[in-house]
Order: sequence, then structure tokens, then C-alpha cells
Amino acid sequence: MVGEEHVSMIPAATSKVWSAEVNGQKHEVIAKSNSILLDVLRDKTGCLGVKRGCDMGTCGCCTVMIDGVPRLSCLTMAHEVNGCEITTVEGLANGSHLAPIQQCFAEHGGSQCGFCTPGFLVASQALLNNNANPTEKEISCAIEGNLCRCTGYQQIVQSIQAAAAIHRGEADAVTSNNAAHSDPHPDGPEM
Amino acid sequence: MLMPPFELHQPKSVSEACTIAKELMLAGDEFDWIAGGTDLIPNYKWHINSKPHVISLAGIDGLSEISMTEIGCMARLHDIAESEDVHPIVSDAASKVASSLIRRNATLGGNLCLDTRCFWFNQTEEWRSSIDWCHKCDCGTGADCRVIPNQNELCVATYQGDIAPTLMVLDASVHLIGPDGTRVMPLVEFYKLDGMTRNVLQPGEFMLKITLPDDVADWTGSYRKLRVRDSWDFPEAGAAAAWKKGDRTTLRVATTALESIPRRHDTEVSESNGDVKAICDAVFKSTKPVNNTSLPPRYRRNMIKVLIKRACEE
Amino acid sequence: MSKDYVQQAGMNKDVRVDGKRVAGKLRFNPPGSGGSRPEMAERDLEFIPELEGGNEPQPAGAHSHDSFRTGTTVGKRTPLVDANAKVTGQAWYGDDIRLPNEIIGRIVRSPYHYAKVKSIDTTKAEELPGVIAVSTGVDAPSKFGVLPVTKDEHAMAVEKVRHVGDLVACVAATDEETARQAAALIEVEYEVLDAIHDPKKGLLDVDEPIHWRGPYHIGSTNVQKRVFQEFGDRESLEDTTKAFHNGKWKFMGVNHGFTEPHAVVAHWDSNGRLQLYTPQQVPHYAHRALATVLEVPMHQINVIRTFVGGGFGGKSDPFPHEMCAAILARKAGRPVRITFDREEVFWVNRGRHPSHIEVKINANDDAKISGFEIDALIDGGGFASFGHVTSYYNGVLATAPYELGSFHYTGARVWTNKPASGAMRGHGAVNTRCAIEVGLDDIAEKLQVDPIDLRLANLLPPHSKTITGFRITSNGMRQALERVREGSNWDEKFRKLPIGKGIGIGCGFFISGSGLPIHWDPHNFPHATVHLQIDMDGGVTVHTGAADIGQGSSTAVAQVVAEVLALPLEMVHVRSHESDTSPVDLGSYSSRVTFMNANAAIGAALEIREKLLNAAGEMLELPPEKLVLNDRRIYFKKDPTIGVSYLDALHKSQEDIGALIASGAYRTPPMGGVHKGAAAGLAPAYSFSAYVAEVEVDVDTGLIKCTDVWAAHDCGKALNPLAVEGQIIGSCHMGLGQVLSEQMVYGRTGHLQNPNFLEYKIPSVHEMPNVTPIIIESCDPEGPFGAKEAGEGPLLPILPAVVNAVYDAIGVRVNDLPLTPDKVWAAISKKMKREKIDDARDLPVPRLDFSELQKKLIKRSAEHKIRDSRRQRREDEGPYLNGVLFGLDPTLPPEEQDETWKISVKPDSSQLDNLGLAGTAWTKKEQRHMEGGK
Ligand SMILES: Cc1cc2nc3c(=O)[nH]c(=O)nc-3n(C[C@H](O)[C@H](O)[C@H](O)COP(=O)(O)OP(=O)(O)OC[C@H]3O[C@@H](n4cnc5c(N)ncnc54)[C@H](O)[C@@H]3O)c2cc1C
Ligand code: SF4
Ligand code: FES
Ligand code: FES
Repeated sequence: MVGEEHVSMIPAATSKVWSAEVNGQKHEVIAKSNSILLDVLRDKTGCLGVKRGCDMGTCGCCTVMIDGVPRLSCLTMAHEVNGCEITTVEGLANGSHLAPIQQCFAEHGGSQCGFCTPGFLVASQALLNNNANPTEKEISCAIEGNLCRCTGYQQIVQSIQAAAAIHRGEADAVTSNNAAHSDPHPDGPEM
Repeated sequence: MLMPPFELHQPKSVSEACTIAKELMLAGDEFDWIAGGTDLIPNYKWHINSKPHVISLAGIDGLSEISMTEIGCMARLHDIAESEDVHPIVSDAASKVASSLIRRNATLGGNLCLDTRCFWFNQTEEWRSSIDWCHKCDCGTGADCRVIPNQNELCVATYQGDIAPTLMVLDASVHLIGPDGTRVMPLVEFYKLDGMTRNVLQPGEFMLKITLPDDVADWTGSYRKLRVRDSWDFPEAGAAAAWKKGDRTTLRVATTALESIPRRHDTEVSESNGDVKAICDAVFKSTKPVNNTSLPPRYRRNMIKVLIKRACEE
Repeated sequence: MSKDYVQQAGMNKDVRVDGKRVAGKLRFNPPGSGGSRPEMAERDLEFIPELEGGNEPQPAGAHSHDSFRTGTTVGKRTPLVDANAKVTGQAWYGDDIRLPNEIIGRIVRSPYHYAKVKSIDTTKAEELPGVIAVSTGVDAPSKFGVLPVTKDEHAMAVEKVRHVGDLVACVAATDEETARQAAALIEVEYEVLDAIHDPKKGLLDVDEPIHWRGPYHIGSTNVQKRVFQEFGDRESLEDTTKAFHNGKWKFMGVNHGFTEPHAVVAHWDSNGRLQLYTPQQVPHYAHRALATVLEVPMHQINVIRTFVGGGFGGKSDPFPHEMCAAILARKAGRPVRITFDREEVFWVNRGRHPSHIEVKINANDDAKISGFEIDALIDGGGFASFGHVTSYYNGVLATAPYELGSFHYTGARVWTNKPASGAMRGHGAVNTRCAIEVGLDDIAEKLQVDPIDLRLANLLPPHSKTITGFRITSNGMRQALERVREGSNWDEKFRKLPIGKGIGIGCGFFISGSGLPIHWDPHNFPHATVHLQIDMDGGVTVHTGAADIGQGSSTAVAQVVAEVLALPLEMVHVRSHESDTSPVDLGSYSSRVTFMNANAAIGAALEIREKLLNAAGEMLELPPEKLVLNDRRIYFKKDPTIGVSYLDALHKSQEDIGALIASGAYRTPPMGGVHKGAAAGLAPAYSFSAYVAEVEVDVDTGLIKCTDVWAAHDCGKALNPLAVEGQIIGSCHMGLGQVLSEQMVYGRTGHLQNPNFLEYKIPSVHEMPNVTPIIIESCDPEGPFGAKEAGEGPLLPILPAVVNAVYDAIGVRVNDLPLTPDKVWAAISKKMKREKIDDARDLPVPRLDFSELQKKLIKRSAEHKIRDSRRQRREDEGPYLNGVLFGLDPTLPPEEQDETWKISVKPDSSQLDNLGLAGTAWTKKEQRHMEGGK
């Protein structure tokens, strides 16, 4: 039974230097050889915006961009992305200005409890980076790995469509009557 | 969740990988290969048969080739699914694997070498301890199989990879490399009917790539997957069929997710003289899924008739 | 409003846009500071009710809050006030709280379904380097539970473990690895007991019931709660029945599946006070339970609600792991963080009860619903949780929206050795609702009438009473049905689609806040309290304990305050995270927050408004009732140039007190019957909804795809349509999961087979139909600006709508949820065999030939429509109670007019032999009534 002969963890993994550019900033930390990227990001680089919903690849809350590709950080070995550029939700905004995708999620109900939001934002930003004119089908394929229990996805898809319009230059970054509310620093400095 | 302790090795070339493997074997250390990790990491997080060393294939250049007649083991399923060069049945099957995010990591090699699955087994350590483990990961207790008890020899966990049947009907070959050099064999001979050993890979051996016959572009067919959700879900049953365009006598049928290996049904096809209904019935007779996935085996077995019929549709 | 009312001074081109005063150019004082708009916004007439001179239509009539509308935010699509935190990754959930010097806690769980804990040896764990604290049940012997009547939980097992995963001990260590190792080193000796997994067995006497309730224990069974209710005339049923439906249902248990796993951080600060960070829906009950278990007064505990990554009822019990963290932190003298794996979330569960439900419906010659009989056996798992209430809800929430000739309910909740069931979105109402709405579909088929017309001709009107005495106020059921019928093009599709395609209807009815709070001591405390505070700079701080769990309660509260005070939303800041600073709030459950909190907030805002108007009146030498508030300015109705800025008025009213402070409270009006259990299901208002779903069924595989949903929900008034639509669509998604794929599967050994998101199948984006949300505004007289709930009710109709649509598509009914493809396929195959059909495409699908009754129904519903609209607008204020449709006089209680009219909450001995499955719980006596009872 539990705790008798069976002791699960005997040897220890060695520690190595892990370095990567996270949201434009170089990080060098010591991480064990067997580390998972999600744990390193949350525990060592302070990116608490990257969420852990299942740890098993089934919720997408942990999605980050690695060299522009959206990937599940809970299923990625940390040391395999040594030297890569990593973008988390914290790295989407342009300085203190929200990225269109963030603003649209806020304005179109793309985020309710918000726990899945970081993953959705990264996955959809990765889509928009390559395709500013995605069809509804392309949008749903891009977010099929993200689970949302609150919104029923519909307003998320609408948010992404609205952001795509901004990317295409068809809509203003300021879309709703509450735009001022959605940009935390309307006159803030550009970075 | 916490990973079990292991050392990750990251060779840069095939020969370095072989050397590391050889050294570990000489030292008597066990190890696993890791490709995309989307199968291995969840299992490791659940502390299922983890090994003290893991050798990553991800850093090796040249294993991600994608073309009509060759696909490298490290080719990511996302790229296979998006590629115009790959045979459409294969890219279609790839596009149906897991979710778009998982496919960014997942590889062809990992998909073909996928561990078998069973709900008594794909559980956390605490969960498995509460059923006193099972044969496949008995933690030294000699536990029995929970699906077919009182035999204590065989594991009947289910192989639930999507791509193998499509490669089988296109008559793909696998290229393996190991301490004793390389070998090539038809994919249909790669699998071994045992939920634990799964395939013929020898210790230290890994899959380099698969190749397809030169005339593969002349073949057509399709892959049908049974699943409840169009994302995440493993196949509860799957069937692929292919034939040379304009020549139904060349029909080949293969299935997956019904037993511990994917299987090509050459006997059933030849005995049925190409009559699809007869093939369906014959395969129905010869496959006996067990109760270890999310849908009941009786249903999955019956569905194989529907899936094969649909896969064979022109 | 007077005719010569002038809007406001036109914007002068020469006015500087930044709002700075340009000498001689401004015709009135600049608006007060704050907000990003430098200029006063125009009054938005689109959002001012027409009876107040605006353009907002009021089909349901006037509302007492109309005159406080300023057109600022109410009714506008408003992003959540905390959306920016969420989209930038700055929203901190449970596991994101990282305090300096933290250590990691881990829980030791039972590997057995049911066992006595003989001994626990923690020495090995304690000796492991890095382990800081270890705790077991002896450290916290006090019981707790969310309901005061059923406190049956401990922080850790005291005597027994009751399900696999039940808490036995906990450890805290410097890192997760050590904590896990230590947990494995704790040696527990168990004596295994016979476990019960089948709720039907829970009805039987056993040697060792899972809990023991002393004199109140029912026999020696595992029945935790039983309910019997009989209302109306059941004697004439047999003679008058024209159509009869009997449906036996099985519902699998479902889990909330919120994306954020439970996590908690506990820290005893330097003053010895506990600071507990937890993603709680109901921080106040956790607060109370912590005080009991830790034996510390409540004021020495500060419960800090982090952002909550979804709740849906699953984060509303006080949880043992919260106690564990606090106990470990107290022992260790360091902050302790415990985060759950997804599997542990399933072990805590509190999801919807697995249920066996039987429904019998009688309809008479006039297609009136003469009888409703419900029997519900619900599987409570190892603990009581909210189960006492659930046991009632399974019956009583079925008593509307239809007028019933009689109502009979027997319910029982049993303990089994599974993770506890509890409250989940649509608490207690969902499963029965599905069964009765499908039953009505069947009745309509038997009567050969359209099921929508059947419903329309049997609705309770607004301002009426249900058969069990619930007071219905506003009621938008009729509009909801009409709108979905029209939107879905129902008449062209129903019973006319080819095999494999189908369309179905379902309705819903839910409470908008529960009439009685769960904890009510000190007695007569209000249900909700909100404090407002305005400092010299004009920013408004709202203190409320309402837990925003993503539903947007903070936004709703901010909105109503901004609306009354006519301030831009960004000038209103909601502080709701800490029990130290917020007034007591009973939490986010039973859809009470918007109704109760927003009402309390309006109360507080009105107090401030009055002070501001008085101050302005004094300054302008005008009576306050002649003044208008609009965007940071208060001015004379007839001449906007005569006015003062909000800030000036504020400073004037603050002259002697510094800050302007107000408090508002809400309590429900007295209501309800006097019978035992009359309070269960009582609410100050109820929501209504009707959905039409369209499905495609793959007849070869049994796979169902829901393609379209028209979802009409009466939320009284959509304070924020964006959020209401979000709730409707989100509810569809969650309900769709329950009807199509989600289930907690307990295998042959009783183990939960699928405690992960791969096998617990929550629909992905591909499974989502195209949902058309339709908001119905019936304007509730007591709701804040007319609003009622929109968070739970919208879940109910989707289940029956889909089940009915599947029947329309394939002509087979499956009464076993979820409708996984294997069940649907099995049902199709069975029918094919029976009808000797080879190809499923040749199956007969139901068609509809109207009977004579159809015309009758149309006529009746046309009459009722007029009746309802008059009542809704209060043109007819006469009383109406359930039974009028059956000829009763609305001015007298039915039992006084009809001697066969029953009101009974206990079966008499003659009835004992004829009870349904759950009803058999009544054949046992309580221990205190038994001879030699224990
Ligand atoms: C939520 C979820 C859903 C999934 N759904 C599906 C699905 O629908 N269909 C499906 O087919 N799969 C599914 N998978 C499984 C998995 O993602 C894929 O099969 C994937 O292709 C595996 O590839 P990988 O590179 O990630 O494998 P890895 O995890 O890296 O490896 C898997 C196994 O293969 C071995 N291996 C890998 N590469 C080689 C090699 N070159 N030579 C020898 N051995 C090797 C590894 O040692 C390991 O035992 C799912 C996984 C998850 C987490
Ligand atoms: S099939 Fe048997 S041995 Fe194999 S994993 Fe399942 S229970 Fe274990
Ligand atoms: S945490 Fe990575 S997918 Fe759920
Ligand atoms: S917003 Fe709550 S899970 Fe998506």
C-alpha cells in the first residue's frame, strides 16, 4: 500500500543553467535537468500569468509562444527551449498599451473568470501573427487546444475576429464606448 | 505536478544519441527516448514507469524531413498536417490527433511508438496505489491486470495512435537505428501484440524515419476516427483504407485503437474479395476490443464496421 | 418629467477638449475631476427609460428605480472592471500568491473507499529533512459544513475515511518534492469497511452507516435527507387523465470543471492573525468554518479572496484543505501554499448529484397539466455539503413555470463512498427540469399538439403564486417561448426535418437569490450589505463582500453605483477581496449576487446621491428635486447652465465630515408558505428561460452534434448585456457538456475512473453550437433596475432541448445522460431490430398531425397572453394563485375551496406502500421514534 516498500523518488536530477529570453528579457536560472518549462516560468522567472489548469495538455492555460510558435509549456522540457525567445501573456502588451487582442478580449467578453485567458491570448496572437484574416474555422482550430469553462467560446471567437480586424487595419484600436476604460494608460509612454 | 527525477540527455546527432544509449546500457541504466514528449511527459508526471535517464531526440538535426515518400521521426504533427507534400490520408490523420497545440510538440515517431493506454493505468500514482497497481506498472508488487484478471502475464492496454493505420495502408517502412546499426522493416511488422513491449524496438534502438513506396502518390483513400470531441480525444476506434486510384483490387484496410497494436487486415480483405461489407464483418469478427478506454468495447467493435465502410468510400 | 426639460448645454466648439477652463468660454463649471473624459458626456437618452423622458422602451412597465437612471452604464455592453488584470496576466489566482518564506503543503489521502483509521504514524515523515510540519485529524477535532444543520466534515479524518481521496493527514516542507515524499512516508493503519457505491443501496439498513446522526438518523440507512411534498388535487387525477407520461431517468454526476484547480495560501501574520488567501465563492462561510476549526475568533482571521478561476458552485463549501493550510502554517510559523492537482479537484468534487429520477405527468382533456409527480434519489457521496437544500430543489424548483393541478414529490439524498456531491450551476434544478421538459414533449406528442403551444397555454402569469406557495413576480416566460419559436423558425422545422436532423424545445425556471440565507445568526442580519466611501478627490470606493468569480459581480455593483451617481465607471473602485475591509456577504451562490448586492449598492448610492443633491441645492439655492445628475455635474433640470460640478457638491457635503460614507443593505421581503420546507426554493424573484436546440445525429454511430441554439432568458433587466450573453452562452456550453459528454464514471471497483480533463469530456470549441442569445427583460419590480439572475437559470433548458431534438431527429428517446454515442447507437439498434429495419436511415421519425386540442390551446394562450401582459404591467393587480386555471377562486387559499386539495409534507401510512424509489426512504423510522433506537 501507500508508503510501504514503494518509494517513488530515489535519485536526483542534476541542475543546469537554463537561459532564455522571456518577454524580451534575458533570464538565466539554475533548473534541474528534468524541469518542465511551465514550472520554470512560474517559479523561476516570475511569469505567474502562465497558468496551470491540468498539467497534462488538456486545457491550454499554460500556452506560451516559443520562437513564435504556440506551445503547451506543461508538456515542454525546459532545457529543450534553452536559448529560445519565449513570449507569455505578460509579453503581449506594447509597453503599457494593451495589444489589440488583449483589448478585444476585454471588450467583447472573451474573458470571464480569466483563468484560461492567458492561454487563449497567446494562442490567438500566434494565429494573428501569421494570418490577419483567419476564417472562423481557422480560429476554432487555433484555439481547439484551449479549454474555457466560462464563456462557451463564442465571445472568444468574436474577440479574436475583432482583433484580426484591427490587425488588418480595418478597425480602430478604439472600438467600444468604453475604450478609455480598456486601455489602462491611454496617454502612457510608448515603450 | 512533479516530474520524477531523471537526467535529460540532449544529443546533437544520431551517433551521439547512439553513444549515450550505449554508455547507459553498459552502465546498466535504464532510459527512455523523448521526442515531442506529449505522451511521455504526462506518463512521467503520473510516475508511470519512469526511468532515471531520458534521451531527447529533439536536438538532432535532420530528423524532421517531410516529403511524399519520407517523413522523419521528429517531424511535428502540425507540420505534417499542414504540409502539401505529405500524402493526404496521412496529413488528415495527423490533423485529427489531439489538439492543435499538442500537435506543435507531437512528432510522428512518438505517435508511432506511442505507449498503450488503459484507464487503470493512465492515472496518478495515488490513484494507482488505491487499486493496488496493475501488471503494466506494478511497482514491484506483482499486481495483476485489472482488465483481464487472473492471468498476470499479458497487458491488453490499447494502442490509440491515429497515424499508424494510414501509414500501414500506404505500405510504409520504418527505419530503425540502434547500437547494432540500422534496420528497415514494413510498418506492419513493427508492432508486437503486447501492451507492454508494444513494438520490436530493441534496447537502445530508436526510429529514424518512415519511408513510403515511390508510387504512393497514386494511392487514394481515407482515415476515419471515432471520438466524442473533435479536440483532445484519442481515437476510440479508427480505420484507414487505401487503394491505387482506379484499382479497387489493391484495397488495403487497417485499424487502430481496438487492441494493443494497430493492425492491417490483409487476410480479411483478401478473403472478402474486395466486398466492403464482407471486410467489415470479417474485421468485426477478428477484433475484440477490451474495456479500458472511455467508450464501451461492444460499441467500439460495432463501430469498426461503420468506420471501415466510410473509409472505403470512393 | 416636465415638457420643458432641456438636455444640456450644447458642446461649444471653443471649449478646450481637455476640460481646462478657458475664461469666458465655458457656460458652466467644468466637470469634477476623475474619469478619462475631460468633458461632460451628453445624457445618453437611449439608456434612459421612456417614462423618464428617454428612449429606452419599457414594455414591462415602470420600475421604482427608473428615476435614478442617468444613462451612464446600465444596459450598456460593459467590459468587466477587472478585465485588464485578466488579459495582462496580472490577475492573481490561488496558486499565484507567493509569500516570502513560503513552504509547500501536501495532503495525504485515503486509498480506501471506506475505512476506519486505526492509527497514523508520522514519525518517518517528520524525520525527513526539509519537512517543517505534519498534521493529522487530532489537531482539528471540530466539525464543520457549509450548512449549519449538517456539519459533518473534519479538516482531516478523525475516525473514518469516507471515499478514496478523503483527507487523512497533511505535511508541509520546504519544497514540493519533499512534501510529496513526506506524504508517502506517513503510515496509516486502516480497518477497511464495506463500501457503498450504488445510491439505491443507500436506502437500505446497514451495519455501519457512513455518518451517524443519533436520534435523527433514519433507521440505520445511509439516507441523509428525505423530502415528501404533496399539493393539490390528486384524487380526481385518475378520472381526468387524457395523456400520461412516465419517464425513468438516470443522470450521471458531473463536475464543475473550472479551469483553476483549488489552491490556498495560509499565513499567520506578526500579530498572530490568520491571513488566508483562497479562491472562494463564499469567503464568509469559509471564514466561519475556519474560526470553528481553528478555535480562533473570526476577527482574528482575514479571508482574502484571490481571483477565482471559475466556481460554478464548486468553490462554495468551506474546504478541509483550507483548514489544513492554516493548521500547517500555524505549526510551521511560515506561510503554507497548497495547490491541487486536477485529480484532487475531482476528489473534492461537490459537483452535480448523480440521480435516479422518475417523473409522471398527467394532462387532462383540456391539455392542462393536472399532475406532476417526481421521485428523485440523489447520490450525495461522502458528505452532506449543500445536499439538504439539493434534496428540496430537485422537486420544488419544478413547480413553475406551469400551472399544475397537483404536485407530488418524494426525494432522498443518500451518502455513498464517493467524493461529495454539492452545489453546481443550476443547483438541484437541472436534472428534474430535464426530465419534466422531456415529459411535456411526450405529453404534447400524445395529445398531438405542438409542445410550444402546450407550454404557452399552461403558464403561470406574472405576479402569481406557485402550487407550493412561491411568489412569482416578473415573468418573461411567454416572451421567451415566443421569441425562440420565431428565431428558430420552429413552425417550419418541428417534426418536419429528415431523419438525423431534429429540433427541440426546453424551458427553465430558477431562483434569483435564496429567500433565506444559509447562516443567519445574528438573526435578521441583512442578506447583503455594501459600503460606499468617497474621499475629497471624488473617487468612489465600494466595499462589498460579493465574490467575483468571473460572472462579473464587481462590474455589476460598480455599474449600479456609477449609474446612480452618474459617474464614469473608472471612478468607481470595487474592493471585495478581503473580509477585513468588506461587509459580510453571503457569497456567490444561488444566483443572489446581482439581485441582492446591486440592490444594497443602490441603497448606499441613493444615500450619497441625496447628500450631493442637498449640497448642490444649497449652493444653487434650488430645491434638490429640481436637480439632475449627469456625468460629474449636478444642474437645474430646466437650464443645465445653472449647476455645480460633482466635485463642488461633494466638497460642500463633506465640509464637516471629511469623507462621504454610506451603507446600503438588502433583505428579502417576507414571503412563502408555512409548511415544513416552505423556505426551500423561496426567492425574491425567479428567472425564466426557453431554448430551442437543433441537432444532427449520425444514425450509424450515434454521435450527436448540436448545431444551433436559440436561447431566450428572462433576466429582468440586462444591466450589462455583454455579461448576460456571456452567461447564456457559457451556460449552454456547460449544459451541453452534461447532456452530451460529461460524466464522472465510477468503475466496477467504485473508483472514479476519469479524474482528468482528457477523460472527463468538457466540450471543446468544435462542439459548441452557434448560440443566439435572446435577452428578455421583464423588469422585476424588486430587482436592481429590474434585474434578476442570469448565471444559473440559462443552463437548465439546454439539456431537455437537446434531448427533445434528438428524439425529433431519430424517434428514439434515451433517458440516460449523458447521451454518449454508444447509448444512442444502442437505442437506435434496438429500435431497428424491433422494427426489422436494416438501414438506420429508414427509421421512422416522429411526425405531427394536430388534434382538435391544438386549436383550443392556441385560443387559450392568446387569452392568457392578454392576461399576462396586463398583469406584468400591473394594469391588473388582482391576486393569482396556482389553481385558477383549474377553476379555483384566486382570492381564497385553495385548501379552503377544494376539500380534496392537499398540503402535506409527510406521507400518511396509506401512502407508504406506493412510494417511488426515493420515497421508500419514508418507510424507515427515525431512531428517536424507534423502539430501542440507538
Ligand atoms: C491530451 C492529449 C490528447 C492526445 N490525443 C491523441 C490523439 O487523438 N491521437 C493520437 O494519436 N495521439 C494523441 N495523443 C498522444 C500524443 O500526443 C501523440 O501520439 C504524439 O504524436 C506523440 O508524439 P510525441 O513526440 O509527443 O511522443 P513522446 O511523448 O515524445 O513519445 C511517445 C513514446 O514514443 C517513444 N518515442 C518517441 N519517439 C521515438 C523514436 N523516434 N523512436 C523510438 N521511440 C520513440 C517515447 O520513448 C515514448 O515512449 C494525445 C496526447 C495528449 C496529452
Ligand atoms: S490492460 Fe491490464 S495490465 Fe495493461 S494497463 Fe490495463 S490493467 Fe494494467
Ligand atoms: S496546464 Fe498545460 S494544457 Fe493544461
Ligand atoms: S474565462 Fe473562465 S475558463 Fe475561460
